[in-house]
Amino acid sequence: MKRQRLILVAAAAGLTAAALTLGGVLHDSSSASPTAAAQVAPTSASGQPSPGNTLAVAARLQATLRGNPNDVTALDSLGLAYQQSARETGDPTYYTKSDEALHRALALAPRDLIATSGLGSLALSRHRFRKALVLGRRAHAISPTTARNYGVIGDALVELGRYHAAFKTFDTMASIQPGLSSYARISHARQLLGDVPGAIDAMKLAVDAGDGQGEASAWTHVQLGLIYLSVGRFAAAGTQDRQALFIFPDYAYALDALARAEAGMGHYRAAIGFEQQAVNRIPLPQYVSTLGDLYGATGHPRLAQKQYELIGVIQRLLVANGVKTDLETALFNVDHGIRLHASLALARLAWRERLSIDGDDVLAWALERTGHCGEALRYSKRALGLGTLDALKVFHRGMIEGCLGHTAAKRAWLGRALRLNPQFSILWAPVARLELR
Amino acid sequence: MKRLAVLLVIAAALAAPVAASAHPLGNFTINRFSRVEVSGHRLYVRYVLDMAEIPTFQAGRIDARAYARRIARNAQLVVGGKAARLVLLGTALAHPRGAAGLRTTRLEVILAGPALNGPASISYQDNNYKDRIGWKEIVVGPKTRSTSDELRAYPKNLLQSPLDITSVRTQLAPTGGPDVPPALSSGKTLEAPDRVADAGFSSLIGRHHLSALVILASLAAAFFWGMAHALSPGHGKTIVAAYLVGRRGTPWHAAALGAIVTATHTIGVFAFGLVTLALSAFIVPEQLYPWLNLVSGVLVVAIGATVFRSRYRHRGHTHDHHHHEHEAPSRRSLVAVGITGGLLPCPSALVVLLAAISLHRVAFGMLLIVAFSAGLALSITGIGLVAVFAKQIFKRASFEGRLVRLLPAASALVILAAGLAMTVRALPKVS
Repeated sequence: MKRQRLILVAAAAGLTAAALTLGGVLHDSSSASPTAAAQVAPTSASGQPSPGNTLAVAARLQATLRGNPNDVTALDSLGLAYQQSARETGDPTYYTKSDEALHRALALAPRDLIATSGLGSLALSRHRFRKALVLGRRAHAISPTTARNYGVIGDALVELGRYHAAFKTFDTMASIQPGLSSYARISHARQLLGDVPGAIDAMKLAVDAGDGQGEASAWTHVQLGLIYLSVGRFAAAGTQDRQALFIFPDYAYALDALARAEAGMGHYRAAIGFEQQAVNRIPLPQYVSTLGDLYGATGHPRLAQKQYELIGVIQRLLVANGVKTDLETALFNVDHGIRLHASLALARLAWRERLSIDGDDVLAWALERTGHCGEALRYSKRALGLGTLDALKVFHRGMIEGCLGHTAAKRAWLGRALRLNPQFSILWAPVARLELR
Repeated sequence: MKRLAVLLVIAAALAAPVAASAHPLGNFTINRFSRVEVSGHRLYVRYVLDMAEIPTFQAGRIDARAYARRIARNAQLVVGGKAARLVLLGTALAHPRGAAGLRTTRLEVILAGPALNGPASISYQDNNYKDRIGWKEIVVGPKTRSTSDELRAYPKNLLQSPLDITSVRTQLAPTGGPDVPPALSSGKTLEAPDRVADAGFSSLIGRHHLSALVILASLAAAFFWGMAHALSPGHGKTIVAAYLVGRRGTPWHAAALGAIVTATHTIGVFAFGLVTLALSAFIVPEQLYPWLNLVSGVLVVAIGATVFRSRYRHRGHTHDHHHHEHEAPSRRSLVAVGITGGLLPCPSALVVLLAAISLHRVAFGMLLIVAFSAGLALSITGIGLVAVFAKQIFKRASFEGRLVRLLPAASALVILAAGLAMTVRALPKVS
């Protein structure tokens, strides 16, 4: 037994020595982490493997490549098929495979359009927004008339907080190729600008373009549901989410959205069931956190605690995989009062990576929770600067005004949050009501 | 020719780091494997369940027999058109270590089916963990190769999607031999040590039992690990080499540099670990890294400038007094160069220290780090010695003194350039 262990130690030492002459452990991340499975708009409805049989398409391409490993077109298609599989299953292993396939295509054909833009959308999925922007622009230089490239560039610009450039990009995209991808992006832009009816109209167009087929179509239903959810139209939201699940069963994004719609209507038990299913599919920190909050709200503090502990485990895994703990986990820590000062430092780090209004909002909230309310106000103003009607951001603003002693402003903002969406958060909607009393 | 060595070192130092891969499958997969086989007259199913870190945490304490009974219930076996019951024969449970010091789960279950009187059509379907992502594999026959080696080694081949086989139909007949149920794995095979690709230096701290032999082996591993690590980018190899070439460095100086690097690195890791622990409420360790980078960058620029200035002065009044004082490294600048080599704590050394503290094995952790730093120093001393000897040979071989005189100026420029590059790279990250 001892000898075996000794051999193991020696072998481990040899292996790591070999690995480390190649590079450090913590330098870059692998994608094998739950948050890497983040959600990004489908980059193209056409040109991708037809939905539903993605695995079959991938198998066919694998067979082609076994015969001819240097088939660039097959490598391109396989790379995109793997990305689609990642979206459908939530399994981040496919991102690594997609990365490998597209890089191999690029090595064979350095100016390959599909490989370049495919790596761009992959970077978006992995929250490497600056890299995505560079790749999107490179693809655009190769082919200025391909709509897909505008999608990659625009999405990256949104996440980097460069909204007006992003909106212009989406307009160009829609004029080149009207369709699911461009309508969905127009809708997202309108929502950011606070035009909820306009956003709903555009997303309905995207739903129609999706034609009730496959994951992309299910995704549009979920997006439409989320817009309804943001303004407290829970029944309408639930209907969209159920349609998404009908089109694409066990779709994690739909399960999470449906759970939140049910929670909004006060159906906590159903909500817990759906959220648990979503967590089983993909344990994204925000799903686990919602599940914990639902348990807490229904008087199960021990079950809630168990979920919160799971988030700690996920964070450890992310760090071990070299992923910087991101905005979502910072928000979770702040929301649940976990190591507040460290969380503020985390939020500052996350903010530097995410210059979007979401980054501003989380940082503002972290500052408020740690008593830096003057600085918080600055970021909250930026978070609401586009005119976005997001009840949670509005609530955060109300709390910041309250912390600064502006009682009238506080009441106005909190009232506005509750009017926008009376159940905007399991955790904070009750707090808003209490503060207004 | 000898400068080639120096150039190669510089090239190695500037090479971009390559990302190391982590877990073969996602951290939240539940993977399932079944082997359907006949031994003698009886049909058996050998079932393996491999749960990654997150589901293992979610499961909490695992009752192996309860799990096995549920697995048997959800595994549907139909023999000759009739549903057949699977009876639990035995289980084996292990919790192989996974990423981030977390545990994973490997459960093996042996199930016995009905006896076969002759060839029969068999259909088997695994309905366990239907809504969970993971590798799903079924093979028929005792000798059939499993693509994943029964969930021990998942293929990383680009052209291999995770298997998704949840049912099989086949014909099976009794075998001639005796009825021997399939065996459960034990020990190392059950612990499936190949499952997680990443082990490394930080795994040394978590060993179960610390016998003297294990401690010695771990220290040796840490030492070699440090040696290898010094060869990865960073760690001021270029600067050490260029400095010793630029000044009249002797082997003694190279050794002294190695010692200073060890001391700085050891102290650095301890100080950094202490700061991280004491100030964790206010500072995220990553925030300190850019500052340390900046400090080393500025320090290196200063060293380069000193070497260059003394060189310049030396040329100004040729063959003047104080010839040696200008050329040989002063104690102060030697320390400065050593500090730049060891200032930035290696992240994995830090992980070891923090893990040691959380496991209440502080002394062991410190020993590991000292061994690691010593390995680091040995490599750097080695590089320094190469530079020193290379210069001496070069000097003896060349008959024209001009090249030799230019060499120190060139090395000063190399140091300056490296320092400037470090500073420029560190600047945007500091705020």
